[in-house]
Amino acid sequence: MSADGRPVRVLPKLDPGAPHNFIAPVKRIHDGQDVSDFLSSKAYTDIMTFLLQLNRSMFPTKIPDGAAQTWPLGTDAVQFSAPVRQLQGLLSKLEDIVEEVPPDTGPRRFGNISFRKWHEVLETRASDLLREFLPAELLDMPSADADGPTAESELKAYFLGSWGSGLRLDYGTGHELSFIAFLAAIWKLNGFPKADFGVEERAIVLGVIEPYLELIRTLIRTYSLEPAGSHGVWGLDDHSFVPYILGSAQFSPAINESDLTPEEGSLPDAPDPAGITKTNIVERERKTNLYFSAIGFIYDVKKGPFWEHSPMLYDISGIRAGWGKINKGMVKMFSAEVLSKFPVVQHFPFGSLFSFDRDPNAIPPPTTVHATSGPQGRPAVPDAGHGPTARPNVDAGTKAPWATAGAGTRAPPMGPTAAPWATARPGPGSTMTLPDTSQMPPGPMAPTRAPWASTQAPPPPGGDAPTKAPWAK
Amino acid sequence: MSDLDRAIEQLRACRLIPESQVRELCYKARELLIEEGNVVSVDAPVTICGDIHGQFHDLMELFRVGGDVPDTNYLFMGDFVDRGFYSLESFLLLLCLKVRYPDRITLIRGNHESRQITTVYGFYDECIRKYGSANVWRYCCEVFDYLALGAIVLGASSGLEPTTSYTNDTTQSTMPIDDGELETEVLNSQGEVTFSTYRPRQRSSSDTSTDSRAISPPRDISAPPGQATPSRTGAPGTGASGDGNGSAQTSRTGAVLCVHGGLSPLIDSVDKIRLIDRKQEVPHEGAMCDLLWSDPDEIEGWGLSPRGAGFLFGSDIVKQFNHLNGLSLVARAHQLVMEGYKEMFDGGIVTVWSAPNYCYRCGNVAAILELGEDASNGGTVARSNGEYGRSNGVVDANTVVSPGRRYRVFEAAAQDTRGMPAKKPVADYFL
Repeated sequence: MSADGRPVRVLPKLDPGAPHNFIAPVKRIHDGQDVSDFLSSKAYTDIMTFLLQLNRSMFPTKIPDGAAQTWPLGTDAVQFSAPVRQLQGLLSKLEDIVEEVPPDTGPRRFGNISFRKWHEVLETRASDLLREFLPAELLDMPSADADGPTAESELKAYFLGSWGSGLRLDYGTGHELSFIAFLAAIWKLNGFPKADFGVEERAIVLGVIEPYLELIRTLIRTYSLEPAGSHGVWGLDDHSFVPYILGSAQFSPAINESDLTPEEGSLPDAPDPAGITKTNIVERERKTNLYFSAIGFIYDVKKGPFWEHSPMLYDISGIRAGWGKINKGMVKMFSAEVLSKFPVVQHFPFGSLFSFDRDPNAIPPPTTVHATSGPQGRPAVPDAGHGPTARPNVDAGTKAPWATAGAGTRAPPMGPTAAPWATARPGPGSTMTLPDTSQMPPGPMAPTRAPWASTQAPPPPGGDAPTKAPWAK
Repeated sequence: MSDLDRAIEQLRACRLIPESQVRELCYKARELLIEEGNVVSVDAPVTICGDIHGQFHDLMELFRVGGDVPDTNYLFMGDFVDRGFYSLESFLLLLCLKVRYPDRITLIRGNHESRQITTVYGFYDECIRKYGSANVWRYCCEVFDYLALGAIVLGASSGLEPTTSYTNDTTQSTMPIDDGELETEVLNSQGEVTFSTYRPRQRSSSDTSTDSRAISPPRDISAPPGQATPSRTGAPGTGASGDGNGSAQTSRTGAVLCVHGGLSPLIDSVDKIRLIDRKQEVPHEGAMCDLLWSDPDEIEGWGLSPRGAGFLFGSDIVKQFNHLNGLSLVARAHQLVMEGYKEMFDGGIVTVWSAPNYCYRCGNVAAILELGEDASNGGTVARSNGEYGRSNGVVDANTVVSPGRRYRVFEAAAQDTRGMPAKKPVADYFL
């Protein structure tokens, strides 16, 4: 429980009266060990806290007559505060740059070279744009040390990291992560008004994150941006992760302020998850739901059988335990497959708002054989259900992030070198310790002579589209 | 029917073979591959293919367009696995064909044929999903370590026999108007010629090089798919008789080096490639890494690669390398090209890409490159096993003529016949 009785923490804001030293953000993740350190850092805790806070806010709310207040895209039940409207103005300015910089019509490989120009324009104007749409007192917040940087240097780093790579002409979950950090940084700097839990969070999701995702989709289509670090069909999605978290929350069971975040079940009139393979349902739901808007975009850009180009999403659509179950899984998967992956987080810079310093409450993540790139142990997720100072017990590292004491289900214990899905038993003659899933039940696509076979690895998300070396800095 | 033929039949139907059979197959494949040099010598005619990336149905389309094994000789330049849904089916089929018809199919290593890369980009996950354990992934990775790093194609003809389109499309004129020699031809998947270039036949050996280089059209060609442009760009009036002594000319066709990525600053001759100890995981740097990771780019000299491995290299590098090694062309894959193939640097290097609508979304066509056999010496070319191309006076690099190149362009296979499978158990995040 958080201090005010809510079963989810809220990202702490800076005390405006207390001295603070800003730090121009720099990359700190240079190898696999650094990823482990990141997973125990204050930055990791803050990012997960903010994401879980946004996630919680998108669950439908019980209202007195027994019905549920839902939070669909475009709802007028969510009022946008002045800062949220300002951020919309900022996004709209970025969209205007697309008009200024039409895609190059000359010969090309895939990614359109004009995106490099779009990025240059963005970089040139970034300071002015931030100044136009963010309050001066926020940008100019000084360091206690007279020669320290202002808040602007930190905000700008995450802002600039949010729009794909002008060099590689790609976009992936690392860039999405940077935008979440940009918003979380504004939150920390008291850039959003004080309000009851959920009010500003919902405005941020519906008023800023969804338009951001739409702008990204425009960029992807206009400039043929490659999926950063694409795993092809073996990733959740070529470019995005966050809409699957927030969109599954929109369809989860309604809650009161004090309810634990549901781990299964669905809102009564939510569509069946299997609806993602039916184009009429996708067309209907994508207008109001973040999960389906992301699915809809896949249909827009991909040609071929859905189960073949998106087997992970297809399998997830078979989950019978409801959107709450999907939501819980998506959060876990985000932590393991985005925040724990070297190729994704290596570009994330750390300053004072997102600090690489160790979080004293962090659980050390399991060490794994694939520390730098491959399948990896699931990291500890910040213990969102406990009070800010609660010392998590030894199981907390594998506990659902929203679990409160006594309410979480224990995940099976994992050997120190196992991949996340492993039943931890290396096969005979293996030189690398890899999961043996032979205990799993058979599946329909198993080859004829492997009747015991089934199960799949979680898809590693994102990367870079011309194949990047995973060890590349 | 042998077990191997049965396995081929089963894999052609996109059905996997049992794990025990994969193990046996991989063992046999390694026995075969260990005998190959780092640079395999391959005689024309041969069809050169680029990345496949598990796009099994498109690989079947490739065989439909290019001819089946063993009727057509194939050289695949790596990246069989990762990203697509059917890396296992694709790679195991190619491996079966290699074991069954070792002289008809050549497989060289791509940067994705690596343990580290496949754990990041999908093949590992696919093996776990389809076989329930990492055993098959491990067997395949052991084969990867034995794949050759490159190939040299010898005995390609400098000219192409013009294709007669099957259709009666009268807008297509494939006949050279004068004695120009057909140098490049682009065919769509129906076998219709959509683009061609000519160079004049040479009068004598002394002016071979100057004629072809000076008069040929720019070879940075890349015809848009479906664009029927029967261009006859050979310079009229410059070709003399051409008859009678053609054989002497065509035998001068330079060798073609095939490699997945490109060149390396550590490799100035083909022979240096032969000195690499290749039977290992692809290193993060060094010559072997570069051959599999580098890309040509519009730069001078060498540049850093945005991929974080290998290098970028410019036209001067390619020209010098080809000249020193008596090569007329470097064929490589590794980069998506929307038109399926792309010639760069005055035709000194070509990228061939064989995965249409890459990742279900790129909207690109795919291509394969056919090099014809030089019939002038009775269809046989002395295998020179490494001696070829050395600066020993046998080949005067200055007179090397590029081979005639026939590109067959094709689109993604139709998908409507693939039924929807039952859902698999989800990853344990969702349990």
